[in-house]
Amino acid sequence: MKRLEARHWTFLGLFVVVTITMLLNIKLEMKVSPYTQDMYTYIESLPEGSVLIISFDHEASSLPEIRPIALAVLRHAFKKGHKLIGVSLLAEGTLIGYRLMRQTADELDLEYGRDYAYLGFRPQYIAAILAMGESIQQTYPRDYLGAPYEQFELLNTVENYNDVAAVISIADGSLTTHWIEYGQARYGVKVLGAVTAAMVTTYDPYLASGQMYAMMGGLRGAAEYEKLIERDGGGARGMLAQSSAHLYVILLVVLGNIVYFVSRKQGGGS
Amino acid sequence: MEAGTIVAGILTLAILSFLYRDNPVYKMAEYLLIGVSIGYVLVITWTNTLVSLLFEPLWTDSNLWLLIPFVLGLLMWARFHRKTAWLSRIPIGFMIGSGAGVAIPAMLYGRTLKQMSATITPLMDSSGVPDLSGLIVIIGLLTTLSYFYFSREHKGYFGGLAKLGTFFLMIFFGTTFGYTVMSRMSTFIGRMEFLLTDFLRLTN
Repeated sequence: MKRLEARHWTFLGLFVVVTITMLLNIKLEMKVSPYTQDMYTYIESLPEGSVLIISFDHEASSLPEIRPIALAVLRHAFKKGHKLIGVSLLAEGTLIGYRLMRQTADELDLEYGRDYAYLGFRPQYIAAILAMGESIQQTYPRDYLGAPYEQFELLNTVENYNDVAAVISIADGSLTTHWIEYGQARYGVKVLGAVTAAMVTTYDPYLASGQMYAMMGGLRGAAEYEKLIERDGGGARGMLAQSSAHLYVILLVVLGNIVYFVSRKQGGGS
Repeated sequence: MEAGTIVAGILTLAILSFLYRDNPVYKMAEYLLIGVSIGYVLVITWTNTLVSLLFEPLWTDSNLWLLIPFVLGLLMWARFHRKTAWLSRIPIGFMIGSGAGVAIPAMLYGRTLKQMSATITPLMDSSGVPDLSGLIVIIGLLTTLSYFYFSREHKGYFGGLAKLGTFFLMIFFGTTFGYTVMSRMSTFIGRMEFLLTDFLRLTN
């Protein structure tokens, strides 16, 4: 058997830290950030029956982080009685989006076609966003399951972005930028982002400039949102593990620096 | 336990085994992921794009306008033969031209003009109290731009400005790195939650 190297011990340490904290099953008390609060307040303030487009702009690999974020937003929007239209601008997010919408809609016994609809994937995201600004029906003549657009009560009331309160882009990459640059800038539709933590700094300038209306980010954002809607969805459960893992990384950074400076002082190099 | 959960659990463990070292089990899981992802994207592209947006309207509704993108799409395949490869330049030229035409004004407006206007905010509110965040934004903008101005040597007063700009850059890099670590940890925690809860059932 291969001898364990430093990196193996590092991974093993992280594995132990995360496993123990998850088995403890303790929920951290979260303070809701203004970002998440703004997102919640906007959805909360919309009149019942408002139409929202939920765009699943992510790949399957980010599902562990995307899932609690999407569940929190979908549960809130459905509970408030809003009508949701699901789309996907990345092929891999298509089925995930459909399953998440179905799961959250079924929890409230909502009816497909009347309370929500799922249109699925369209390629060439810029063209798709621009085309929906003219006519959603022409962009999606059929829904994800192949039924004609005009068959559904909800879709018959929606022509383009003028009939939509906002677009919520659930993203793990830069696709929300395209919603901002084409949907918001050209058609004036409000864009809200529910994004992975890695994308928060990318979208911060858009939020500060007002091009993006609100944003929630990462597992922390999901945990905060779960607190606001008083519903567990995996975000809050993971926050103790998240915090412990961060402390572990900080400890390693400090230790690494101490070892580096001590060995440099002793003339051993790094 | 559902078969899907068992398969997902075993594949998760197979992928995590890479942390020890590269091995055949990891390779198998990796190849499976790539194969399934490409297969899924192909199926989605065929059903949601080619069939529903091209073939059905073309054959069923006789929408002959769609012959134009259809032919342009076929010309892309011409690049696989040396003698006909030049034909593929037509759809590529169309895509680059139309893409640039759509993207350039949008990016100039969204990423440059709107962002510039957002940095020019009043440095004081109506009651005369200085707005600290607005001040930091404008100092950060000017000093960071100084750092990327290479037509003058970074010495003296100008060098000091450029040096200050590097601090703003470091803060940005640090924040971005911190968020990226957070994101990767979230992914790991998500898989661990699945393993401990659904697969091994060690916790609720």
